[in-house]
Amino acid sequence: MRPISTPGQISMREKEFDIVIIGSGAGGGVAAKELAPLCVDGKRIAVLEWGAKLKDEEFSGREVDMASKLFFDSGGTFTADRAMTLAYGRAYGGSTVIYTGTSLIMPEDVVERWSVPGLEFTDLHRRSMKYFEENNVHRLGDNEINDNNRLFLKGCEKLGYRVEQFPINVKGCKGSSLCNLGCPNKAKQGTDRVQLPKAEGLGVEVITNCRVTTIGDRVCEAIVTDPGFGEPSKWEPGEYRVKAKVVVLCAGGVVNSPGLLLRSGFCDHLPMLGRSITLHPALILVGEHEDSITNFHGFPKSYYCDEFMKLDKFLLETCMYFPFVTAKNLIGFGAQHSELMRAFPKLQMILVLALDAAVPENRVTLDAHGDLVIDYTLTEPVLDSLHASMLASTKVFFAAGARRVHAPAGKRFFIDAADADRVDELIPRANVKPGKISITSAHLMGGCGMGRDTTDSVTDGWGRVHDVPWLYVGDSSLFPQCSEVNPYVTVMALADRVAEGIRNNVGELLS
Amino acid sequence: MKSLSSEKAEFLQVLASRIVPETTELDAVGLGRFFCIIDQALQDRPASVRRQFATFLGVLRWASFARYGNPLDKLRAERQDAVLRWFEDCPVRILRTGFWGLKAMIFMGYYGQPETNELVGYAPDLDARANLHA
Repeated sequence: MRPISTPGQISMREKEFDIVIIGSGAGGGVAAKELAPLCVDGKRIAVLEWGAKLKDEEFSGREVDMASKLFFDSGGTFTADRAMTLAYGRAYGGSTVIYTGTSLIMPEDVVERWSVPGLEFTDLHRRSMKYFEENNVHRLGDNEINDNNRLFLKGCEKLGYRVEQFPINVKGCKGSSLCNLGCPNKAKQGTDRVQLPKAEGLGVEVITNCRVTTIGDRVCEAIVTDPGFGEPSKWEPGEYRVKAKVVVLCAGGVVNSPGLLLRSGFCDHLPMLGRSITLHPALILVGEHEDSITNFHGFPKSYYCDEFMKLDKFLLETCMYFPFVTAKNLIGFGAQHSELMRAFPKLQMILVLALDAAVPENRVTLDAHGDLVIDYTLTEPVLDSLHASMLASTKVFFAAGARRVHAPAGKRFFIDAADADRVDELIPRANVKPGKISITSAHLMGGCGMGRDTTDSVTDGWGRVHDVPWLYVGDSSLFPQCSEVNPYVTVMALADRVAEGIRNNVGELLS
Repeated sequence: MKSLSSEKAEFLQVLASRIVPETTELDAVGLGRFFCIIDQALQDRPASVRRQFATFLGVLRWASFARYGNPLDKLRAERQDAVLRWFEDCPVRILRTGFWGLKAMIFMGYYGQPETNELVGYAPDLDARANLHA
């Protein structure tokens, strides 16, 4: 660990708690709620959240405005080679404020492949079901599903592709389709609506606009600012030294948890810190129909197709994005690009996600200036998967009745329905060019992976950092490999488990 | 703009006219919003990113000189598009990614304005339950 500043060197305000949780998303929010009963016994717990708590009326649905308020880097954090952009949340509720809320349990075979000592599928499944119930996870009725989703179902069924409906965590959804800009109707059951209010009700203090800069031995240095929006933080702007008598739990996500530990000097004894991140690389295709369809009205993501997961390592999902995000995901420019954008009400969209293997060279690290860098290389197998996913998606669009399709690796800007039987020829593998095609990630995983010891991991199967008994991790950076499904439920289940471990060890840690 | 010199901002406007032709139809207020959105996005990025963006604009402007004898903003439209298409598909990855970043900025400046939503037919509704089926 690097030496942390001592009181007197810098004018810092001092705060003291028993447990400090960094981050309030799927991991931090769950941990806060699960540890909150300790407050009844007199323990003091703080959640330090970098982002703001927006007032209900601030969820405007305005694309650029909400992106700047709710995402790191407005949803466009670059990897080092600029070939990908990452989207992850910065808010009271973390990424649960800006995800779509599709809720899947990680399959048993994935848990087995993770091979984490003590981590069993039955345990994860039980915990996942707990959050299904807590978050009102259910499937929408037929009358709540819009055309964009129905057409995906139609196309997949016509081709004989296996398609399933996503369970989602909403209550009182009004079909605004603005999920990824923060639900304006309080319907999405993220930690901001469910776990954090419960935690605060039992005495947990959530401090927003609070960025932790360094972690020392049971102490965090943090800066509170005023971003000019949202509710004011409970602490005045300034620098703080926050002591944690028992535990510090990092739940800042894949970039910030390992990043914080790297900055704080924990890499010296943790060679795997920051390493083996997976990003579930994704891209969008659009199909244009003859007539307008309901696409930006209604819940955006009701179906997925996992037909190709085993052999070709990709998933297809329905999606619907906003004008700027749509525009930047199309290749080309000028008149043709504008023509497609003006067909917005006629557009069906598919999101494809490729399964990427965990390789140590893909990592969060620090550059020479101490700034965070995300070193990630799109491998040939991943590019192969993205290519194959484009072929499958294009066929789904045509099977659904689209008149033409825009595929980012297409030889032409538009592939017409008349050429539907030439899809394989018209979308060549050689056209899958990182840097030209917009490849993104919203499922960041790894960097503080669970495992046996410091040679293969950063934490044990309970999220405790190896050889640092007071330090835990409780977010998707725990994943030793890709979860292969949307990760938030798994994050919650793991955080639930991490919190249980902390509760069980409180006595030992206090002594 | 705080992030770019006036000369580079003018060049950015020329590029925008090829990337999103509708930017030429923006009135003074719309153009102001266009530059404001891009400027804010650049200001929110590290200084290194701002420098890279400005450098890329310079590279883009003068890349055509060897072939056409003029900087990009002095070429006629068809040749401008040819140069831009070359950059989009460039065998050199850093130039491809630079061009993608440029396009993203221009798309943000135009399509990121709520005022242009109507032009593409995007009409969000906070309660769209009655509109689910066409």
